[in-house]
Amino acid sequence: MTWAGKGKVAVAGIGFSALTRRSEQHLGKLAFDAANAALADAGLETSQVDGLATYIMGGTGRDGVDSVSADYFLKHYTLSPEFRWYAELQQGMIASAVIEGANAIISGMANYVLVWRAMHNPPDRPYTQVTARTAQGDSQFSLPYGQSAVYQWHAMAYQRYLHEYGAKRESMAALAVNSRRNANMNERAYFRDTPMTEEDYLNSRFIAEPLCLFDCDIPIEGCAAFVLTSAERARDLKNPPAYIASVAQNTARNRPAMISYILDDYMACGATLAGQLWDDCGLGPEDMGAAQLYDGFSPSTYYWLEAAGFCPQGEAHAFVQDGRIAIEGEMPVNTFGGSLSEGRLHGMGHLAEAALQVTGRAGPRQVADCEASCAIDGSPLLRGSGVVFTSEP
Amino acid sequence: MTTERDRALPAVTDLTRPFWEAANEGRLAIQGCQACGYYNHPPRPLCDRCQSGDLRFEEVSGDGTVWSFTVMHQKSIAGFQDSVPYVTALVELDEQKHLLLVTNLPGVSAENVKVGMRVKVSFERLSDEIALPQFVAAAS
Repeated sequence: MTWAGKGKVAVAGIGFSALTRRSEQHLGKLAFDAANAALADAGLETSQVDGLATYIMGGTGRDGVDSVSADYFLKHYTLSPEFRWYAELQQGMIASAVIEGANAIISGMANYVLVWRAMHNPPDRPYTQVTARTAQGDSQFSLPYGQSAVYQWHAMAYQRYLHEYGAKRESMAALAVNSRRNANMNERAYFRDTPMTEEDYLNSRFIAEPLCLFDCDIPIEGCAAFVLTSAERARDLKNPPAYIASVAQNTARNRPAMISYILDDYMACGATLAGQLWDDCGLGPEDMGAAQLYDGFSPSTYYWLEAAGFCPQGEAHAFVQDGRIAIEGEMPVNTFGGSLSEGRLHGMGHLAEAALQVTGRAGPRQVADCEASCAIDGSPLLRGSGVVFTSEP
Repeated sequence: MTTERDRALPAVTDLTRPFWEAANEGRLAIQGCQACGYYNHPPRPLCDRCQSGDLRFEEVSGDGTVWSFTVMHQKSIAGFQDSVPYVTALVELDEQKHLLLVTNLPGVSAENVKVGMRVKVSFERLSDEIALPQFVAAAS
C-alpha cells in the first residue's frame, strides 16, 4: 500500500506565537497570533481558511484557556464563508493533524487548511501532578506503588534500554548539549539565550532515574501553526513550498500501561511507521538533510534514530557522539533545539523546522543543501506520526 | 504535602476482584486465558492475544526477575511526597516473557537495585480488603 499524496500538498506558511514559560495572554490569543503569522507567511487572508485540523490530547478542558480546539477557531476566528471541514485528533500526534489536513486537500474537501497546537503551562496545576485518591482501571496495578507519571514509564523503558545495550546515561549529554546549541541559534526558542555544557547536564537533578531534568522538555505557553494547501496553489504564494512526500502514523501494540515500556513492541511500531515513510517517498534515512525526532523525553530521540534506521538498534547512544548530529555533522538532528530546548509544542516545532530546512529558511541553523527532512512526532512507546518534507514535489 | 494515608487505593471492579481477593489471602493470582494459555496483566475482558473470553485467575509462583526500575525524585504523586526518592520496579514473572508487575522492592535500597535480580512475592497490607503484592529480594 502506498499513500497517493506524494508531492500533492505543501506547507505554505509557518507561524509561531511568543513561546514563554508562563504567559499573561489568553491561550486563544496566542493561537490566533500563530495562525495570523502562518497566514502572513503564506501571503493569505484569514477569510481564505476553509479547513481546520488540530491534535488535542486528553480533552479540551477550558477551551481557549487550557487548549484551543477547532470549535474555538470556528466560534472566534474569521474563516472562509466556504468553510466545510475540520478535524480534532486524539491519536498519533500533531503530525496526525497534518496527515488529515493533507488528505482533506487531496480529496477536495478544503483548499487552505490551518493546523495548530497550542500548549498551556498553568501555574496552578503543575505538570504531571497526580492527585487521584483512588486508582481506577489499569492504574490500580501501578498508582498504589507511586508509579503513575508519564516520565516514570519513560524512565522504566530507558533504564531497560541502558541495561540491554550497555549504554550509559552520561552519553545523553551529547544529545542534550547539541539541542541547546541549536536552540541558541533559534530566535523563537525558549532557551535561545541560555547555553548548556555537558557538565550542566550531568549536574542537573534527577526527575525519575535515569531521567534527569534536562532529559525532559521544557513546558511552555505558546502555539505554532501551519497553512497547508495544494502544491499548485502553494507555488503561487509568498514563500517556497515545503512539499509533503510521505506520511505515517502508528502506536505500540501490547500496551500494559499508559505507554509501552517493552522495547520489542515499540521498536516494531517505530520500524513499521518509519518503513512506510521511507517506502512512500522513495527516500531513506541517508537522504535526510536533517532529522527532527521527537524529544518530549530525550530517550525518544534514541528510539526514533534506531527505529527509522539512522543507526542500528541499540547504537543511538554512540551515534549521537562526536558531533555527528550537529548542524555541520553527517546527520543533523533537531536542528531547532528540539522540545528539550525550543519548548514543549508536542511536535509542532519538529514539523516547522523540517519545513523550514527544506525551503532554505532556517537562517543561522540552515543545513547546506537540505532537500529532504523528516519530522517524527511522539514516541513509539506511546503514539507516533511522521512526515517527510522535500524541497521538490 | 500529602502523607502515606493519602495514597490511592485500588478501585476494585468485577474484572479485577479475583486478583485482589487472592492477594488479600496472600496468594498471587494472574488472569490466565483458558483457550491459549496467555497470562493477561492487567486483567482484560478478553484475552489480549486470542480475544477469548474464557479467562480464569490462576495462582502463579510469585517468583520473578527485576526487568527494569526507576528511582522517583519528583514530589508529584499524592501520598508519596514524603517518600522521595523511592524505587518503583517492574518484575517479570517466571511464568511468561513480559508478564510484568509493578513493585517498590521493599528492603532493597535504590543503590542496590539491579536489573536481573531475583525476587519473590510478599504482601503489604494497606486496608482490611487490600494487601498489595510487593516483591522482595529472593534468598540467594
